[in-house]
Amino acid sequence: MPYHTFKCSECIPERAMHAVIKGPGEDLTSCLPLGYLNTIPGTISERGCAFCGAKHVIGAPMKDVIHLCHGPVGCTYDTWHTKRYISDNDNFQLKYAWTTDMKEKNVVFGAEKLLKQNIIDCFKAFPHIKRMSIYQTCASALIGDDINAVAKKVMEEMPDVDIFVCNAPGFGGPSQSGGHHKINIAWVDQKVGTFEPEIKSKYVINYVGDYNIQGDAEIIVDYFQRMGIQVLSTFTGNGSYDDLRGMHLAHLNVLECARSAEYICNELRKRYGTPRLDIDGYGFEPLSASLMKVAMFFGIEKEAQDIIDEEIARWKPELDWYAKRLKGKRICLWPGGSKLWHWAHVIEEEMGVKVVSVYSKFGHQGDFEKGVARCSEGALAIDDPNELEGIEAMEILKPDCVLTGVRPGEVSKKMRIQYLNIHGYHNGPYKGFEGWVRLARDLYNAIYSPIHQLSGLNISKDEIPTDKGFVTRKMISDVNIIEDGKTPIEERPYTGECDIVTRLRGKKYPKLEPQQPLGMVMEGGEAING
Amino acid sequence: MDDVMKDRIEQLVDFIMKWCLWQFHSRTWDRERQNEEILTKTMQLLCDEPLDLSTPSDRCYWVDAVYLANGFKKTCPWLDTMDKKDIKLLMQGLKERIDYLTINGSLNQELTNPLY
Repeated sequence: MPYHTFKCSECIPERAMHAVIKGPGEDLTSCLPLGYLNTIPGTISERGCAFCGAKHVIGAPMKDVIHLCHGPVGCTYDTWHTKRYISDNDNFQLKYAWTTDMKEKNVVFGAEKLLKQNIIDCFKAFPHIKRMSIYQTCASALIGDDINAVAKKVMEEMPDVDIFVCNAPGFGGPSQSGGHHKINIAWVDQKVGTFEPEIKSKYVINYVGDYNIQGDAEIIVDYFQRMGIQVLSTFTGNGSYDDLRGMHLAHLNVLECARSAEYICNELRKRYGTPRLDIDGYGFEPLSASLMKVAMFFGIEKEAQDIIDEEIARWKPELDWYAKRLKGKRICLWPGGSKLWHWAHVIEEEMGVKVVSVYSKFGHQGDFEKGVARCSEGALAIDDPNELEGIEAMEILKPDCVLTGVRPGEVSKKMRIQYLNIHGYHNGPYKGFEGWVRLARDLYNAIYSPIHQLSGLNISKDEIPTDKGFVTRKMISDVNIIEDGKTPIEERPYTGECDIVTRLRGKKYPKLEPQQPLGMVMEGGEAING
Repeated sequence: MDDVMKDRIEQLVDFIMKWCLWQFHSRTWDRERQNEEILTKTMQLLCDEPLDLSTPSDRCYWVDAVYLANGFKKTCPWLDTMDKKDIKLLMQGLKERIDYLTINGSLNQELTNPLY
């Protein structure tokens, strides 16, 4: 059987089916861990809660919105700013955090009056912002505050404002994934169809499931705009509240991250007939295929091919430089979310590194199906790992680098295993052709860091050599590379700029002419644009 | 089904698992539709048969089918040596195998959950 029992979890037999090793001939009918179940008492999970999934992951990347948490201040603090979902309106959503700061007396006597006053105060403090999301927390849900009624009352009193209510308290699911589900459905129930954005192109999409970490979404939107496609909304990275109310007018939903956002795509498919196209946004080959698929849907293949050719010609020599030096290195791919399957195969194909383990803290079995299917034999897949299991996995697998978030990353550093932050990113964006090279560069810098080599010395007892010079990255990484006449001379380390996103914001694109509605008849016979 | 056919089907399965995502929608009913629509259109492309592209959904399935057909041709040169009758048999076998891996034999306990 492919199930793997960690020594540290032998006393917790319920963990027996939460880790698998993909053996020879194993497929998804024999090798799949359990997933998205209640965390087992006795094992300390590193998961976030449903409120965190709704507010921190999905809702808060919306840029022109006051994101008010109705609960104790700690809930807000724990969901603030640990992901760098930047925006092109001066990072309004990152600069401020709003909370009603419920106290004991509010729990006893109710907090609806407190909430109403806070909403009004928020709008007065930021008079140029007319949109708000209110997030329920465990405290306000347990006492039964009727947030919807309060929001409705304020909207009657202040007709120029619009408020979205997200009822996803922390206990609303076994992990943050429960919050993803709730906010998706709440948005489509409450807001989609209540605003009519201007349609400017014959080709209109929603780009769904990207949260603009260090500008990821803006990189992809640039490609689409160069193709003449109108990106009606980005759900929800750098997304505008009103654009997201108009999602029903798109011709196609392009979905990047399944479990955080497939719910809204499925609802839009059911209610408005908008088809859903799942894409990979990382890696040269998958990204090229993704751009071409979207182009084919609209019949604009040449526009996509021109971009693919240009980007690959510019960036492939730099990716190849790193791939040559990263070949054979071993990584644990522990992202927690969708990079589990976005990267499992392509990072091996295009950078030569071997993925020896994948994990997710809140992934469903469907997420693991994708990851396990794409991993090579021998990979260890772990659902909802705790810190001890992570440590044991690193001791067994001996990776050169762990790609993960801050908390497990700090643990790996203490074990003298380098880590790369692929939640908030070290030096992203990592999406797009150039972004993929930036990831390779960060991986290279991590694995071959001279400081990392020195960190193993114990200055209190080790003999410190004083007759040797400082070892550079090149001295370590290039020892096995044979330069010969076949080596392409154009291969080189990364030559891009530090900030590759800001310059996109003033960029001019082919002018789009306002379009008459297409009146396309979708599934179920509904005319969605007429 | 002979060993050659089985081996060829596994090569096609490997391509789908590594390079596609459409086969992993969340629920059984959705996977059944995805597998049927995309693999049927792929078969039609490989056999030079006409395709129905009358709805946006059809175009969406067709997009994935074109990617699949091109990928199959690129990675499996033996496809060129097969006649259309055998390609249809191959694609039928592929459909059954993908249905088994993603639906009938799947260990995913959420596939029949009435919610998403």
